[in-house]
Amino acid sequence: MDSEKEREIKHQRKDTEQPLVLPGIHRYQFFTNLKDRGWTKNLDRAAVFGIVAALAATVIKPLTKGNPATIYCYECRACYATQDRCPVGITFQAELVVAGRVGDYDRFIRSGGLKCIRCGNCQSYCVQYLPLPVMFAAMQEDTRRAIKKGIVPRCSLESAMTYGLVGKEFIDDVVRALA
Amino acid sequence: MEILGYITLSLFIGLMLLTLFGYIRTPVQTVLVLSTVLTLIIGAVFRYFDSGWNAVLLMPNEFLGGIILHPITALLTGLFLAGGLKASGGFEALKKMLNYLRRSPIGLVGTLVILINLPVIASLPCGRILAASLLPLLFTFGLEGGMGLLTKSQIIVLIGAFTRNAMGSCGPSPIGGVGQIGEGFLGSFFPTASEGILRAPQAFSLMLGTAVVALFLKFVSKRFYPDDVALRDVPPAWKAEGLREAVIEAPAKGYLALVIFVVSLLVSIFQPFGKMPVQTVLVGGALVMVVACRIRINDLLDGIILLPVTAMAAGFLAAGALAATGGFDALGVILNSLVRVPFLGIAGMLAIFVQFQTILPLSCSRILTAALVPVLYLFGPAKFGFLDWSQLAVVMAAYMINATTSCGPSPLGGGGMMGEGTMRAETGFIKGAYTFSSMAIMAPLAAIYMKFLNLSVFQPSNPDFVRDIVTIGEFTLVVAVANILFIAVMGRLAGTNASTNWFIQLVVFLAGGAIAGGILAFALFEQNFALITQGVAGGLIAAALIALMVPRTLSRRMTATLTGPEM
Repeated sequence: MDSEKEREIKHQRKDTEQPLVLPGIHRYQFFTNLKDRGWTKNLDRAAVFGIVAALAATVIKPLTKGNPATIYCYECRACYATQDRCPVGITFQAELVVAGRVGDYDRFIRSGGLKCIRCGNCQSYCVQYLPLPVMFAAMQEDTRRAIKKGIVPRCSLESAMTYGLVGKEFIDDVVRALA
Repeated sequence: MEILGYITLSLFIGLMLLTLFGYIRTPVQTVLVLSTVLTLIIGAVFRYFDSGWNAVLLMPNEFLGGIILHPITALLTGLFLAGGLKASGGFEALKKMLNYLRRSPIGLVGTLVILINLPVIASLPCGRILAASLLPLLFTFGLEGGMGLLTKSQIIVLIGAFTRNAMGSCGPSPIGGVGQIGEGFLGSFFPTASEGILRAPQAFSLMLGTAVVALFLKFVSKRFYPDDVALRDVPPAWKAEGLREAVIEAPAKGYLALVIFVVSLLVSIFQPFGKMPVQTVLVGGALVMVVACRIRINDLLDGIILLPVTAMAAGFLAAGALAATGGFDALGVILNSLVRVPFLGIAGMLAIFVQFQTILPLSCSRILTAALVPVLYLFGPAKFGFLDWSQLAVVMAAYMINATTSCGPSPLGGGGMMGEGTMRAETGFIKGAYTFSSMAIMAPLAAIYMKFLNLSVFQPSNPDFVRDIVTIGEFTLVVAVANILFIAVMGRLAGTNASTNWFIQLVVFLAGGAIAGGILAFALFEQNFALITQGVAGGLIAAALIALMVPRTLSRRMTATLTGPEM
């Protein structure tokens, strides 16, 4: 009984000892004040550092790569409604935007980014009317540079050639890289 | 490489389960980052031997692609506005206005019902925007918030129902909502799908689901977890005198801030000045507040709460690592292979598929939706041909509402944690209520609505239009009555033994899941008894998986959290 009682007392929250936050906000949700650090404080700190660094990289990367509009994509995928209106049959336009934001060449090529002719049909489906052709063009050039430098894995290029995912503008670069 | 996907998927699910059941007691962010790092290390080893060093070097780019900036920035702007409203006295102004409203013919209850449904009315692209701004206001209705209009029990229901409504409102949102992922795909066949084919089924089922959540919280959650909400109730002495109403003074700049807040929301919804990101409008509103209401930038920053932001970002990282290593592809293969299980078939597999995001709720529904909707699309005429276009639309409606509401019960930085925080409840308090409503109410009703109304509207020549509306009414009534009955039984049978309570809950979930699976199969294949039976079997499996994830007790974990690992 005593131990039960003791546990009950320990169970009570001491709100006054907790940091002041907005009314009603869970005190224990404060990262700096968690008492259940199972292993070490530094592990949690490293995790937060990792999260912040990843977020910073996601924002800074497109800025440095000259593709800042990709930051504004909601990733709502409303652009998928383009469907048959895409003359080269790209199905997943949002994938190209995300790939452009982070510089994911494999994803860009896999989703048909190198066959896009930048007609702009998909742009009319974007809820924010983002300049999709401009974003795709920037990533296409970035991918071309990466292919020339030999950064893009060979298997990605081989697969793109097999499935017809390379447009005529880029075919020479891809063939040269595979040679 | 396929084996890599299965390994990383197992690792992720294993770590999440260990965290959910309290075996790993570190903040969820740490676990998610740990999962990301381990996944990437394993992936890098496989990649090195499979595709060489270049492929390994590109992995960071790939996993960063998992981060969806939109909900993170939307949440931050919502928190900015909350900070601005608080500093300028906007909440006091709102309280005064609510006081007037509750004396109007609609009364306090009517006012609260409107407030609870405000997220689905506004339909912003992330429920966290309104939740971050308005949850502090809802808290003020209670004793600790100053207004003292509602008891502890009523505050739990109010906050829980509002958060449920908010964490689902991204579904029907026409300005970048999650539902648009499905609408985009359905646009292949339905020419006007992208104008909102999924919006009405989602909004309809969300409203009813919200009401059921309120009942569940009132009659079940409170009895199952009696000691896990740290809100204070009205002292007995006060009860005898009647609740004392606090005198509220609101400064003029509070009203001004409120007007700016409302105008910002209206501009972001209706976009009268052309298309622009919601975040831009809301930050603009916050800056106007700074100038017009003479508050400081620091006041805006005070509104920021790091937990939901970091938890969501960590969830995206983990998902990104999974996507980069083929974890989601493996998941798609597993779900697809369920069709070959004899007692499940296509109907059973779909009954599990539509509930999948509730089975594995992540911090933002977009994570899994972006990965699984293309898989669902392939079940249609585009590849496998399991479903025709109308059937695909029905499944999409059920899947989408289940998906968009999945950030609510997620203990991994989901939006529901904001509600739990506001009502000072331990993580997991709302999980039973939220998952039950998504599984047993929202998914089947969205399917029925799509089948009998939306597809009729999209074919105006249909002569059975009135009959279809009556059918929806009948199904709604049956689903609602059955589930309210289940909740009443659960509430009545709930005792002090947590294991017994949990077992009762499991049985009720199974019953709800079976009905949901059966209705989904009926909506798809009509009166085909064998397929309906398979749907029921799938619904049972989904319900069992969902119920098993609902925590048995919360207190032990909370006590351990408060007193340290020695407990």
